Amino acid sequence: MKELWLTPKGLPSIPVEAEVICPDVVAGRTLKDVKGLKVYVGNETHSLGEFFEVEGKLAEQAADQMIVVDGTCQTVKYIGAKMSAGSIHVKGCAGMHAGSQMSGGEMLVEGNTRDWAGAEMSGGLLRIMDDSRNMTGAAYRGSPEGMTGGCIVVEGDAGVELGSFMRRGMIVVTGDVAPFCGAHMNGGEIFIMGKAARRLGAEAKGNGGFIACLGGVDEILPTYVHETTYKPTFMKLYMRQLRDALGLEAAAKFLEAPFRRYVGDLAVGGNCEILVAENGAD
Amino acid sequence: MSFEYNGVEIEDTFAEGFAMWGTRIIITAKNRKWANIAAAEMTGFATSVIACDCEAGVEREIPPEETPDGRPGVAVMVFGFSKKRLSEPMLNRIGQCVLTCPTTAIFNGVPEEEADDMLDVGASLRFFGDGFQVKMRMGDGWQERQRFWRIPVMEGEFLAEAKFGAKKAVAGGNFLIMGLDEDSTLEASERAVEAILEVPGVITPFPGGLCRSGSKVGSKYAFLRASTNTPFCPAIKASFPDSQVPEGVNSVIEVVLNGLDEASVMKAMAVGIKAATEVPGVKWITAVNFGGKLGKFNLGLKEALDGA
Repeated sequence: MKELWLTPKGLPSIPVEAEVICPDVVAGRTLKDVKGLKVYVGNETHSLGEFFEVEGKLAEQAADQMIVVDGTCQTVKYIGAKMSAGSIHVKGCAGMHAGSQMSGGEMLVEGNTRDWAGAEMSGGLLRIMDDSRNMTGAAYRGSPEGMTGGCIVVEGDAGVELGSFMRRGMIVVTGDVAPFCGAHMNGGEIFIMGKAARRLGAEAKGNGGFIACLGGVDEILPTYVHETTYKPTFMKLYMRQLRDALGLEAAAKFLEAPFRRYVGDLAVGGNCEILVAENGAD
Repeated sequence: MSFEYNGVEIEDTFAEGFAMWGTRIIITAKNRKWANIAAAEMTGFATSVIACDCEAGVEREIPPEETPDGRPGVAVMVFGFSKKRLSEPMLNRIGQCVLTCPTTAIFNGVPEEEADDMLDVGASLRFFGDGFQVKMRMGDGWQERQRFWRIPVMEGEFLAEAKFGAKKAVAGGNFLIMGLDEDSTLEASERAVEAILEVPGVITPFPGGLCRSGSKVGSKYAFLRASTNTPFCPAIKASFPDSQVPEGVNSVIEVVLNGLDEASVMKAMAVGIKAATEVPGVKWITAVNFGGKLGKFNLGLKEALDGA
């Protein structure tokens, strides 16, 4: 895999919209081309080379391209947006919309991300090694579907509306999540290893989707009914997946855990499941 | 024509194998006891398509670290003459013998890339959930895509993978162990089956892997399509004019094998024959065929041993 290194230099306080930081865009180009790629700052158009030192090697195919962003870019939006292959490694924080609408490849952010990380993602793996702000993996306003595939791992806390309108795919948060997690969810899986705040699963329809709370919940909506407490076999598959495919060792202790099964949101006739681990910290 | 192997005469002939469709299912349960019970139930009355709806058997036990849910497992294999005649008994047997068995779950044992077709058993099985079944989707867009059905049952929940890989397989691999007496023949046959158990992708569908009453096609009775294999019955070797029981042989047991491919069946035949020849008292080993007119595969004993 060929590495292209982008080192931030003099980023403005106004956000830079840089969806060009994406293997699909840079693959097959020359370094000179990449430096000249357009980015947007407010109502002005600039080139990528004005804000980043650009060096390294470029691949012919996106799948063979790795982009290393060597520094924190909290004000750089859309890093990895719409990427379909290859990989991005941000050695710091990333701005809003990081990995949004990505359909393949892998993106790793060593720091935190702002709002809309992985929004409407359909494939690939987005791994955030710190907190992620609001609307992670959510649907953009007006869109009927949020995530339709892929996996987001947040190794920290997540903000409000995590995975709202989710249809497929998986989100894992090792820390706590803010209210309205999985609101309007219609498929997919959300795993919360910390504590889940109230209103989770609000107006969720279900369709095979579930929210697994491994670290307890603040409250369950009254429009969810408690069905039973049991040890579902299917959860073993997921816990092994978290442990073996994503390296989240903490999942192993839930392999034999009993779960309280709630179903709702009855306010919308839904059959979404909220599964609360009995040995979670209620 | 024959040749000697470990001091035992091996007839230079072949077993006549038939083309069938085969599948492999992994049954898991809370512990080995229940996994084995489910496997035994599912593979019961499935020795031969002469009178059973399919041929089935236990391939091997699978340790927890190799099963999808990390519980003890047993791999079973089922064979039928067509995809339809494979999927119907599969569905019936899973429904009646595994779904009913406490704590079990079932998983596909033939990966899609190795299968010739995928049988959507879950599509029918799910209706048992009476509308409360849940489709479970894993790996969408970032890993290998997998589909399961979660079916609520009185004990808890039954988890079944949605599709099972089926392959164009080989049935009817066989060899006959001919010994001085019942004891030596049985011991040699048992050793052969133990050795065959180590070969992946192969089952021996008869009781304990052995058939003591091999059959021939047809009978003197018009209503009977198969009858005792008279040429190989020592008890009538003098009175049956075309007896093929050699001098000094007083007991014959047949080992019948089905496998997912020809190479596996040949390997299993080789290791089985080799194990049998190590038992004192074994005189001859041969195989059953129909002159190569009925089956697609001619599984030569010499070729099998040479290949091994």
